[in-house]
Formats: sequence, C-alpha cells, structure tokens
Amino acid sequence: MDENIHPVRKISTFFMVMAMIMLVLSVTALYQAIEAYRRGSLDLPSIMLSGGALALSMYMLIQMRSKPLKLGFEMPKVSTTIECLNCSYKMVRKFERGDYVFKRIGECPKCKGEMIISSIYREVEERGR
Amino acid sequence: MISDIPALVSQGAFSEDNILGWIFQLAWILIFVVFMFYGQRIQTMLMLKEIESSLYRLKMMRDKGREIVISTIKETGKPDEDPTPRVDRFLEHVDIGPVSLDPVGIIQRLEHLMDVRNTRFKDEVRLMAPHADETQINNLTNVLEAALALNQIYKSIRHYYLLGKKTLSLYIIMQLQMILPLVMKESEAFANALRAFTLGQPIGDGAGALVAAKLMYGREKRRIAKDIVVSKVPIDGRTAYVLKAEGPGGKVGKPGEAIKEILEENEGKVSMIILIDAAMKLEGEKLGEVAEGIGVAIGGPGVEKYKVEDITVKYKVPINAVLIKEDIGDAVSTMRKEVFEAVNVAIERIKRLIHERTKEGDTVIIAGIGNTIGIGQ
Repeated sequence: MDENIHPVRKISTFFMVMAMIMLVLSVTALYQAIEAYRRGSLDLPSIMLSGGALALSMYMLIQMRSKPLKLGFEMPKVSTTIECLNCSYKMVRKFERGDYVFKRIGECPKCKGEMIISSIYREVEERGR
Repeated sequence: MISDIPALVSQGAFSEDNILGWIFQLAWILIFVVFMFYGQRIQTMLMLKEIESSLYRLKMMRDKGREIVISTIKETGKPDEDPTPRVDRFLEHVDIGPVSLDPVGIIQRLEHLMDVRNTRFKDEVRLMAPHADETQINNLTNVLEAALALNQIYKSIRHYYLLGKKTLSLYIIMQLQMILPLVMKESEAFANALRAFTLGQPIGDGAGALVAAKLMYGREKRRIAKDIVVSKVPIDGRTAYVLKAEGPGGKVGKPGEAIKEILEENEGKVSMIILIDAAMKLEGEKLGEVAEGIGVAIGGPGVEKYKVEDITVKYKVPINAVLIKEDIGDAVSTMRKEVFEAVNVAIERIKRLIHERTKEGDTVIIAGIGNTIGIGQ
C-alpha cells in the first residue's frame, strides 16, 4: 500500500537566513582580522570570535541539510518465524499481510508435520548511547 | 587583562581608523540594546518557531494517518462509495466523560459510555468497509482510533500555539514548548501503531495476550465474556484457567468480567490470580525486562481493574502481576524481538509462582492482558 513513504524534509527559512547572515558576518570579520594581522597588528579576540562564529554557522547549515523529517510511518523490517510442531524445523521470512501468531501455514517440507507461525517481530538496531 | 581590552579593541578589525570596525562596534551596541528591551519577545518568537516546526510535523502525521486510513478501508473493505467524507466525520469524534461531581456509580456509567463508544466505532467501520470480515473490522477500528488520536493531538497543540501567538504570552508558549518532546514521542508512537494495525501485526501491548496464547495453544477454548476466551490448562498438578482476548483481531475484551465469571463459577475457590501485562518501562530500564508484583495489572480507564479488585476482595483471592517492561513507542508498535523473548521468561516466572505459592490440586487464573492484534490462540 504505502510502502514508498519517504521521510519529509523541511528546513526553516528563518533559521536558514540566520545561519547565512552569521556565515557572511563571520567570514567578513575573519577577513578583517587577517587583513589587520597583515598590517602588523595581531587581533586575537577577533580571530577567535570570527573563527568560532564561522564554525558554528557551518555546523548549523550542515545540520539543517542532513536532518530529514521522520514521521514514524516508515515501514520497519518485520520477520515471521514459521515452525514445525513435529520436528522443530524453522524458517524465517518477511512478514506478509494476513500473518498472525499461531496461524496454520501448511505442511512441513521435512516431515509433513503441521507448521504454524510461532513469532512475528521487528528487529531494531540500537544506537550507541 | 581587563585593562588590556581597550588596547586590543583599538587594534585590527576594531581599530578607530577602520570604518568597518566602527560599524561592528555600532552593531554590537545595537544588538545589546535590542536584546535588553526585546529579549523576551525574541525568545518568545524563537519558541513559537520551534513549536511551529513541531506543529508542521504533527500536521504531516495527521494527514498521512488519514491517507493511510482511507487507502486501507478502500483496500480491505471494498466500499461502493468513497469513504473519505465518513472518515473525515469520524476523525472529529468527541467523547464526553461521565460526571464526577457525584462519584457514586461512576465506574458503571463509564463502562456504559465505553460500550456505546465501541459499538459506535464498529458500526461506523462496518458502514465504511462493508466487505471486511470481523478480524479486519477490529483492526480497522484500531487504525481509526490511532488516526483519531493523531488528529486530536494536532488540534490541541495548534490551539495552544495559536493562543500563544495571539496573546504573545511567554507562559503559554513556554509550557507548550516544554511538553512538546513528550507530545512528539506519543504522536510518533501513534503513527507506528497505525502502521502495525493496518497490517495486523502483533504490537508490544499484546505481550500479556501472547503469554496466555502460548499457554492455551492446542487446548479447548470457550468464550467466557465479551471478546474473551478461556482454556483449562493443567500446570504442575494445578488447574489453570488461562484467558485472553480472542485473536487475531485487534481486541482487548473484558478481562475483568471474565475473571469475575470464573470466580463465580468456582464459588471463589481459586488460590491465586496472575495477571500478565505490558508495563511502562522507565528510562534506563531494559526493554523486555520481566518484573513481578501484586495488584491488578490492567491498564485503560480502570473499569476492568475495578471489577477484578471488587470480586477478589469478596473472595479474598491473592492477585499477582507479571509485567513486561516496554516504553510507549514499543507498546503500540510492532512487537520487538526482545519482547517476544521476554514472553518465555514471563511463562517461566508464572510457573514458578504457581509452584511456590499454590498446592497440587489448586485452581488458578492466568489472565493475559492487552491488545491481541496479530495473535491467535
């Protein structure tokens, strides 16, 4: 049905403009500080401030571009385990609509015993904390 | 160091003979003045922007949820007419709770209202999807409930956002901004739930029902209360009445009613009641951790919980709880592997409880609580 739901991306125009202004100002300030240094006066606070602002604005811009908006409707990977009641033969496949736990699935390919769905679950890769 | 600042300022980019330096100094002074007088206003505007972006996400969730509901109804129910206007009408559904000014009989009144609500929802779904079978109707009812929840959350947040914007009250906006992370988490959980209900997958909340299903599988079953089935299962020389909501459709049934019925049938001669349910996991706790306790482990508005408490007081039956820890997101979305594995741990705990706290020949009740979507028996 809606298998192809893509995450939506929305970047706030306000923050984008703010970050751009900050970037321009920091580049100008850094240029001025370097110019001043060339003329012989070392303006360390200016260099540090403008360098910091430059790094911050770049970081903000990168973050804005790389952050897609997830809505929670994304399809997780769900597996169905089918098990033979007789010989414990097991197989795992992708979940199919209509599957439910304890549903009879047919005959076991090994012993012709009855096979049922023994579990349906999703696996989530935990992010490092 | 401080005495060096004028000297530093008089150099480089901020030197007095540098026009750009003057502009910078003026800009800093201006920023300082602006922040002094309009700091709170700016803070308010920034908070409103943050709320606005969350509101946009909530709107997207609500719209996507509605879209999924309509396409699922069209797919499973094969209606003769377009279900969209009916779905839109349904999404504006309002529940009015019973009056609590006079609390006498509030449980019975609440139960009546809940029964009316459930019947109304199922009737609506039958009209929307005339060709859906009973399992699909139950699943579609759950899908619609999740979409309804998303719509209600969106509308409440929009209300407070617009109110805050209109009044520019920092306190309204600040409160809204503070609860937003929790609201977003809950909304994402409902979005996940909607997806799971659409496909009929078992959800985390069904952990209790799965425990009961595993215990009663292959045994004779009978319906004992609304949407509840029970089986007699011999465990360690004891007779266990194992009950759960009838699956695999999305149902919770009336477990309180079922326990009451079994106790009446046995004239109160039951040594122990064990309730198994999914419980809220605290941050830092492991998903699928199994905990034991006493008391009635039934969530929801409290009607079923009340019934069990009431009847067990009458017959003085001890109530035990076996809980499987999950957070809200895991409870309403497709069951995770950890929860599936925890079910076997819970079964071992139940067997141990029965072995340690009852005698051979005793009768016990084991109730698997929770939504049984995607779980047969």
